Amino acid sequence: MPRVEFQNIAKQYGRVTVLDELNLDVDDGEFLVLLGPSGCGKTTLLNLLAGLVETTAGKILIDGRDVTDLDPKDRGLAMVFQSYALYPTKTVRGNLQFGLSSQKLDRTEIARRVDWAAKLLQIETLLDRKPSQLSGGQRQRVAIGRALVKNVGVFLFDEPLSNLDAKLRTEMRLEIKRLHDELKHTIVYVTHDQIEAMTMATRIAVMDGGVIQQVGTPDEIYEQPANLFVAQFIGSPSMNVLSARVESDGGKPVAILDGFETRIDLSGHATGDALAPGTAIVVGLRPEHGEIGAADRPAQIELPLLYAEKTGGDATLFLKTSGRPFAVRIDPAAAGGVRAGEAVQVGYAAEKFNLFDARTGRRI
Amino acid sequence: MAIRWSRWSPRIALVPALLVTAVAFVGSIGWTIYISLTTSRRFPDYEINWDEWLRQYERLFKDGAWATSLKNLVVLGLGSTLAIILGFILAAMIEKEKRGEGFFRTIFLYPLAVSLIVAGIVWRWMFNPSLGIENFLHELGWTSASFNWLAAPDTAMYGIILASIWHGSGFYMALMLAGLHSINGEIWSAARLDGVSVWRLYIEIIIPMMRFTFLTCAILLSLGVVKAYDIIVAMTNGGPGSSTWMPAYFTLNAYSGRSNIAYASAAAVIMLLITAAIFIPLVMVTAWRVRRREAIAK
Amino acid sequence: MTDILPLEPVRRTFRDYPKKPRKIRGSSIAILVFLTMCALFIAIPLYVIIVTSIKEMSQIIQGEIFSLPTKVTFEPWWKAWNEVCSGVQCEGVKVGFINSLMILFPSLVLSIGLSMVTGYALALWNIRWAGTFLFVLFTAAFVPFQIIMIPLIIMTGIIKVYGTIWGVAIVHAVLAMPLLTLIFRNYYKDIPNEIMSAALMDSGSFWRIFFEIILPMSGNILIVVLILQITSIWNDFIIGLYFGGIGTKPMTVILANSVITSRGEISYNVDMAAALLTAIPPLVIYFVLGKFFVQGITAGAIKG
Repeated sequence: MPRVEFQNIAKQYGRVTVLDELNLDVDDGEFLVLLGPSGCGKTTLLNLLAGLVETTAGKILIDGRDVTDLDPKDRGLAMVFQSYALYPTKTVRGNLQFGLSSQKLDRTEIARRVDWAAKLLQIETLLDRKPSQLSGGQRQRVAIGRALVKNVGVFLFDEPLSNLDAKLRTEMRLEIKRLHDELKHTIVYVTHDQIEAMTMATRIAVMDGGVIQQVGTPDEIYEQPANLFVAQFIGSPSMNVLSARVESDGGKPVAILDGFETRIDLSGHATGDALAPGTAIVVGLRPEHGEIGAADRPAQIELPLLYAEKTGGDATLFLKTSGRPFAVRIDPAAAGGVRAGEAVQVGYAAEKFNLFDARTGRRI
Repeated sequence: MAIRWSRWSPRIALVPALLVTAVAFVGSIGWTIYISLTTSRRFPDYEINWDEWLRQYERLFKDGAWATSLKNLVVLGLGSTLAIILGFILAAMIEKEKRGEGFFRTIFLYPLAVSLIVAGIVWRWMFNPSLGIENFLHELGWTSASFNWLAAPDTAMYGIILASIWHGSGFYMALMLAGLHSINGEIWSAARLDGVSVWRLYIEIIIPMMRFTFLTCAILLSLGVVKAYDIIVAMTNGGPGSSTWMPAYFTLNAYSGRSNIAYASAAAVIMLLITAAIFIPLVMVTAWRVRRREAIAK
Repeated sequence: MTDILPLEPVRRTFRDYPKKPRKIRGSSIAILVFLTMCALFIAIPLYVIIVTSIKEMSQIIQGEIFSLPTKVTFEPWWKAWNEVCSGVQCEGVKVGFINSLMILFPSLVLSIGLSMVTGYALALWNIRWAGTFLFVLFTAAFVPFQIIMIPLIIMTGIIKVYGTIWGVAIVHAVLAMPLLTLIFRNYYKDIPNEIMSAALMDSGSFWRIFFEIILPMSGNILIVVLILQITSIWNDFIIGLYFGGIGTKPMTVILANSVITSRGEISYNVDMAAALLTAIPPLVIYFVLGKFFVQGITAGAIKG
């Protein structure tokens, strides 16, 4: 399966620059998710790769071949669209065949591929229906089938699950993952849904403002966010960030949180150790890492409860600060005992906090 | 690099349309303007006497029939606005009283499917003094009724206006209905809850909301009036005398009747200018509406 | 991928309630009366043309324009179809009927084919000057015919089609092109972008996408435009009058010649029968396919 390389890509619409000097490699057989808020340039990047939009500068290579000036159909890739984009007047079979008959394949080969894809996706019984007679999930399968039959190495997905309801979305997520495990295509998948990204990707590229903020495995992105944007974009509720100042406490570096008495002992932290006193930093604490009532952790925070939100499986406490409420996710059984206004003590283990440079936002 | 057909085939497909536009529209307009500056008669003569290059236009504005044509243009334009008003009233009534909507719409719109020649012939027959409606009214006992409009120069245009209203009101009704349908249904509910009277609702809310529909109707009507020809030929053939001449009739008469293509071209150029004067506001309104819709979409 | 326990949601049947009678209010009655009167005004010419065409002249000269025929006769229809004179030619309006049909088909094919492809290219393919071209077309759609008529006569003369069926058909196609292109373009503009993207990735061929994807999706607009074009070509007078030659004039021109410029004794019943025969084809289309007809005329009017 081919590699995809973006080399110094730039895209401008009139005077507006959407992407600039963007470099990204997608490895053979990789499931790369482009993740970011709307307007971050991820769809533009996908369309550039598909050839639906022309690049302003830079090169796109697929399997070492420069495809920057090729027509979409000649690039050796297939795409699944957000609205499925099935041809409404053609049957399911017609939809699957259209791209193949354009390639002038012989009839038995076309039939073989259509049957194979239909079987793989369990849509054999739908082949003679029109798209309007299909449910959302079935349309999605047909759209994937239309991509599969083309027998190409690179698959592009443009937010393919955003039009499905929550239950179907989970199903299709597994389905796409299963197909990738079976067929080992190179996949570039655009989404703004971090759950999709975390569950399916082998690597995630987080984008914002036309810039790739971080590329890494889901675990890396979650555990070691490269900067404050990634830290706050990934995770729900998002990471609590508190500004702080580094001081020396008897030779040990400690972080003094602005507006708190609390000192956080940084000596146990992998990188916090070497910080010079006086450095302004930002401390990031994930809601799900907080431990209620644990008094012996290096980071201790004590704040009054604002309100609690229960969602069945778990509960989130929102604690009052001078700014945005501080979120802590806990077991719902533990949430029952606390009332609004009462102080809650939350402890964090040393390896669980993230430190960022307050000036650049980069991870320390 | 190979030729990218994907990039060229749409352009090649547009060549016929571009040619037609360039030759039949842009080129022909230029050609007609050029001819209007010459002294061509039956056949085009491409020499221009630059000392009196506006000769045809000078003649035109001294021509009594042309003055009548312009006057009739205004008369028919003003008279036909009744079709817009009637169209709006019909649309509002149909919209409010849903009963029989399909039936009434079918009746009001059928004249549009009838050629103006046929319409003119029927109306001429009905205006027939001894056998038509006038006679019918006399027999009913209304002996002073006069419906012989087409025979007198000062009433002939009214006959044409009446036939135009008959032909056009359904069209404006259809446009108005489309406009009324696009008004948010909640406005009617809100007005009912507020207890606003029907009159005030229409005058203060609905009509102002439909001002663009009205403007579109007015502009389409004006453009239609400039083109009015068939109905004149069928009803009066310009008569009595030249009392029902219109610019389109005048132009074609100069071409085929007087065999003077330079003169006909000059009249056609004035028609184009009148059209432009009506058309430019339409473009501006359309552009403005598009911009507004985009602003709302954002 | 099924649920472990496929539970049926709770459903219940609802009982039928008797319909409440709708109240008829005074204002409703007033509105219905007004609408009926207007409908009468609009319907009168159709009534008059029909009854006059089946009356005998002896009844017509008594001046009862609205009365029903005492004796129904279809002789005027036969005369109008076979005998009515246009100029020196006395072969009835059937000559015009045939000519109109012969003009209709080539001009439909030419005008719809040309404007469909043009509208498709402008709406769905990336052409930088599409906006400018559309504006020119928009302008051209409103230009009065007279301003381009004389050059068109000269040019059709040069390519030797002036006075022939083809000449009339070509002029119809040329004149309809701007408006029809705009109608098609506006229709195609609403086709989702992603369908076009999918087609570009699947095939990328301008014509294949047109014939396999876009054309099958155009059914609705095609009927609308077809009806719009059939009625406007059939009802046209000017183009037929100025571009049709001897023996190639359409029905409206034959009708106008026989009714308006005829001399001698006037048979009103034959005149009306000839007019009715001319009006029947578009009227039939209107009464059968009225919905599409209305869409056509409003699509032609409201653009942008």
